[in-house]
Amino acid sequence: MDNSMTKQQTSQRAGKKRGFRPVTLLRNLFFVALGALVLIYILLPFYWMIKSSFQTNIDIRAVPPQWLPKSLGFSAYERATIIIPVFLYLKNSLIVSSVTAVVSTAVAATAAYVLARYRFPGATWILIIILFTQLVPAITRLFPIYFLIQDLNLLNTHVGLIFTYLGFSIPYAVLLLRGFFKSSIPPELEEAAVLDGCSLFGAFTRVVLPISLPGITAVSVFTFLGAWNDFLWANILLNRGNLKTIQVGLAGFSGELGGVQNMNAYMAACVMATIPAMLLFFMVQRYMVGGLSAGAIK
Amino acid sequence: MNWRRNLFCYLMVAPALIIVGILGIYPMLDTLRISFLQYDLLRVMSEGTPFVGFANYREIFQDERFLLSTMNTITFVVVVVGILIILGLLIAEMLNRDFLGRGAVRTAVLVPWFIPPVVASMVWTWMFQTDRSPINHVFRSLGLIERNIPFLTDITTYGPINLPLLAVSSVRIWHGIPFVVIFLLAGLQTLPKDLYEAAEIDGANAIQKFFNITIPLLKPVLSILLTLLVIGGLGHFEINYIMTRGGPRDLTNILSVLAYQQAFSFQRFDLAAASSMIVLLLTGPVAYIYIRDQLKD
Repeated sequence: MDNSMTKQQTSQRAGKKRGFRPVTLLRNLFFVALGALVLIYILLPFYWMIKSSFQTNIDIRAVPPQWLPKSLGFSAYERATIIIPVFLYLKNSLIVSSVTAVVSTAVAATAAYVLARYRFPGATWILIIILFTQLVPAITRLFPIYFLIQDLNLLNTHVGLIFTYLGFSIPYAVLLLRGFFKSSIPPELEEAAVLDGCSLFGAFTRVVLPISLPGITAVSVFTFLGAWNDFLWANILLNRGNLKTIQVGLAGFSGELGGVQNMNAYMAACVMATIPAMLLFFMVQRYMVGGLSAGAIK
Repeated sequence: MNWRRNLFCYLMVAPALIIVGILGIYPMLDTLRISFLQYDLLRVMSEGTPFVGFANYREIFQDERFLLSTMNTITFVVVVVGILIILGLLIAEMLNRDFLGRGAVRTAVLVPWFIPPVVASMVWTWMFQTDRSPINHVFRSLGLIERNIPFLTDITTYGPINLPLLAVSSVRIWHGIPFVVIFLLAGLQTLPKDLYEAAEIDGANAIQKFFNITIPLLKPVLSILLTLLVIGGLGHFEINYIMTRGGPRDLTNILSVLAYQQAFSFQRFDLAAASSMIVLLLTGPVAYIYIRDQLKD
């Protein structure tokens, strides 16, 4: 009897569902429209930046704005490199971000590994300190770090900037990698290696690291991008022209030369500042999504 | 054997721990110390840095700019985090289904990720330029408005909300979408499929499934995301600083930007330290919940 009731209900509901078709269609249309609006919101600035960078400095001043450039040209790119030393700034950013990524991933990987695998006195406290540091806002650390770098005579050096970045990338990298080691690398592998006479450190470098490449790649990309995108620290720690990173260079450009007549050159510089990060993104996109979810969702 | 293993562990965590100590814990404590001193760069030479107790805190709490910035910070966080979570859930739910062109849409959604915040701020500032704004152009063409909207310069306020603050928030939201979507998508993919099948047999529609299955099961992921977004929002600096420098009339000024200006424009490192301690204080309860949850596993 129970069974037949359920069947009846099911068929009733199925009938109901069929009756609702027009509503479903309407709802689907609503979601498609909403999705389209969201996509426009996300993509319009990207398009607008690229479009503006190819316009001449007469077309860029048009009111109302032109949605399609009337003439395409690279003149804005040429002018951008004349107005500010874009390539020098890009090179500075590349050096600073690469060193930050390599050093912080190496330092974080060793710490993350033992925090993921071993129980030792103080481990929980160390984890709390790292978690807590990740949450302390940059502004609350800004002034003492500025004075510290000044006292170490590292103001206006790339070393000082890289050192500062380590303090921000390492906590984040440790947490992501710890999650990755916990969820994706089976401990049996190293246990076997250690039984075979491998040292603890050897088991880590020869067994764990090679198979952790996806997670390590993802984390180094994140730390690279973190340093690449930074404006706050580079802005206060470097004020000499030839050392500036691209973000500080761009922001300075807008301050002094940000008039509409320079907007196309400015957008061209913005495109150039985006390209390295974009290339990196497309190279590692598939690792990134997997690597992040392994670290974030336990 | 045991002590050797422990030694190995300490040696492995030591570099990370030392760096975190020097660049994380020490600066925070030092900011706290500075906030109780008189640290006016123009008077350091003649008067040094005497201890003044809570004088700096008293001073900022009588400062209208500080009070306005605190309110703006809270409004900014509520608007940004609220809209980001709703938008993120919508997009993640959409990308979790199979449809033609899903890969392309997913890549498109991730675009803001590789745009540096400085670039994002500049491109949006350019798009918000009243006369040359594509947004105004569309609105005008559709007949929705008669005069161009001055997105970044309108000083009319509606309670705690004003147009420049919303404009700046929309840029932060834009920039945060990829992170939120990936985070939620990863969460959605861990949910058991059979629950949804069971609900379908019972005739639940998409909206019912979303509110009765997805949201409750996603709660742990949502709470981590919420904490990270709230903390990021309370300490946010770049977009507001670059787009508006906190203006017009401090309507988009938030605490990090204010502290930065107190220090580097007015040489008042003491007031700046006090303001940034308030930022830390605001993040405190959220941080506590986050750490407690992270240690549970």
